[in-house]
Amino acid sequence: MDNGYRSNRSSALLGARIAITGGTSGLGLALVRKCMARGAAVAFIARTRERVERVAEDLRPAANVHGIVGDIARKDDIHPVALQILGALGGVDVLVNNASSLGPTPLALLSDTECEDFDAALATNVLGPFRLTKALLGALAKSARERRGAVVLNVSSDAAINPYAGWGAYGASKAALNQMSRIWNEELVDEGIRFLSVDPGDMDTPLHAAAVPDADRTALKRPETAARELADRIAMALTDLAASRASDQREPASLA
Amino acid sequence: MIAANAPVQRRSDAKLLVIDANGRITDAPRSALPTLLRRFDLLVANDAMTLPGSLAGVHVPTGRAIEVRLAGCRSLVDAIGRFTGVVFGAGDFRTRTEDRPLPPTLAGGDRLALGPLRATIERTLDHPRLVALRFEGTPASIWDGIAHHGCPIQYAHMPTRLAMWDVWTPIAGAALAFESPSAGFVLDWKTLAAIRARGAQFVTVTHAAGLSSTGDADLDRRLPLDEPYRIPGTAARAIAEAKRRGGRVIAVGTTVVRALEHAASRDGIVPAGNAVATQRIGAETAVHVVDAIVSGTHEPGTSHFELLRAFADDLTLRRAATELEARGYRTHEFGDSVFIERRVRCPACASGHEPRLAA
Repeated sequence: MDNGYRSNRSSALLGARIAITGGTSGLGLALVRKCMARGAAVAFIARTRERVERVAEDLRPAANVHGIVGDIARKDDIHPVALQILGALGGVDVLVNNASSLGPTPLALLSDTECEDFDAALATNVLGPFRLTKALLGALAKSARERRGAVVLNVSSDAAINPYAGWGAYGASKAALNQMSRIWNEELVDEGIRFLSVDPGDMDTPLHAAAVPDADRTALKRPETAARELADRIAMALTDLAASRASDQREPASLA
Repeated sequence: MIAANAPVQRRSDAKLLVIDANGRITDAPRSALPTLLRRFDLLVANDAMTLPGSLAGVHVPTGRAIEVRLAGCRSLVDAIGRFTGVVFGAGDFRTRTEDRPLPPTLAGGDRLALGPLRATIERTLDHPRLVALRFEGTPASIWDGIAHHGCPIQYAHMPTRLAMWDVWTPIAGAALAFESPSAGFVLDWKTLAAIRARGAQFVTVTHAAGLSSTGDADLDRRLPLDEPYRIPGTAARAIAEAKRRGGRVIAVGTTVVRALEHAASRDGIVPAGNAVATQRIGAETAVHVVDAIVSGTHEPGTSHFELLRAFADDLTLRRAATELEARGYRTHEFGDSVFIERRVRCPACASGHEPRLAA
């Protein structure tokens, strides 16, 4: 079998090249740690240089982690980020669009939401993931062709489905992200790229604290738990892709 | 030809001049490319991402402004850090390279301050403006510095500053190229799906496409510089498979031809792996692997045009040039395209009637 073949879920992330946006706090940071622990090479992207450097320092001496400074919401940052991801990892097999914006904080009724706050939510939650994914599609398709597997995981929310009052900018933008994931998954199935949209649940993270400052934190899911679930979903997708390649290979018309 | 002076990778009215193996020339919309492919054909493109390799800065010993254009690297493995570079004096792409002032006299050991980047000239490479450079810092800091300070290398025919997205092909996904492997602009995801629907296959190789022009006659004669490339196992297997089934290997761009023909130069077989392409391809080159090329339109006298002479005889290329002119084709990296099927080779045409340009 090819060296990229991953036979089961526990080892599926071993050697995978994973880029995670919003990787210096909350779910993103927990996912960086989880993927590293499972043997992946990880590049994480966040806005502030100081935070990126501090987190990278914390995660050392591990050699399989790379901090990259960039704001996914800014068009001009996308290609410099993509260049550094591919430079650091030598390619990318998994992209996790995790960085999210609530829109207005404190949360506001949609009717009271400033257009600029809605813009900001769309830039981070929809346009940013669109642009970064598009910039990395060539690399993802290459990973698929070279039998490493290719997965894009977009972090979603139940606010994308349920009309919670006060979550208008966030919910509407996450709904758009959901649909974008589904359409891309349809369009790129023959390229071998799988798109996932996952709701990690209500977690004890800085984003949740900003949205619901008086929440009972003990009732919230720990980000480490959600990170394990996301890592499992990625692993499952990589395993499925490897299995479908293996069945393709058994067909008589395929490569000898 | 008309200079394409807007950075539009896929104009809806882009054209494709098709030259078949018998020298017959037809004109098609470029969107018709998939219809030229047959079952078992294999399209091979260059998936290199283009580094923003133009770095403005200062020659520290003299304090004078310079522009360094990164032009090549020795290997695609750990490519970052040590480069070949061409150094210009003050100014930028808006001045034709031929008219750019010379840089100060350069010597081994000279330090360069290029935005946040610091580099040292290791030595000059048999030319006062061609240098071996070593950047200081970790690979991460060098990537960061180039990503933020560098600009895509561009030329005076393009009046607007290019952005990184202008020079990345849709399939770009591996380190690295110094100039865009722009023949790949012809590809988009719809085209790739259409190619697959015709029973043809698509694979990529990575080839570190270097500078296409320096404006210095002595340097231009040395182009293309040595270029490292990588052929993935999937590409090597697909090429062997296409050959076995009677499909054509169709290279998207001159860089793919250079990589595949270099790889096959030993025994006609393209192996997987890393190597460095050092050869020139011209009228007298025996082409072993590539059956057709999709390329931009190139002007006679450039190394790209020389390469096309390995595919079609000079008479055919002259007829094609007349057609390109008459039909208003656009040239340069954002221009129209040609599809040239390798001619049925006969000894009389192989030698050509024009003197070969000095190597």
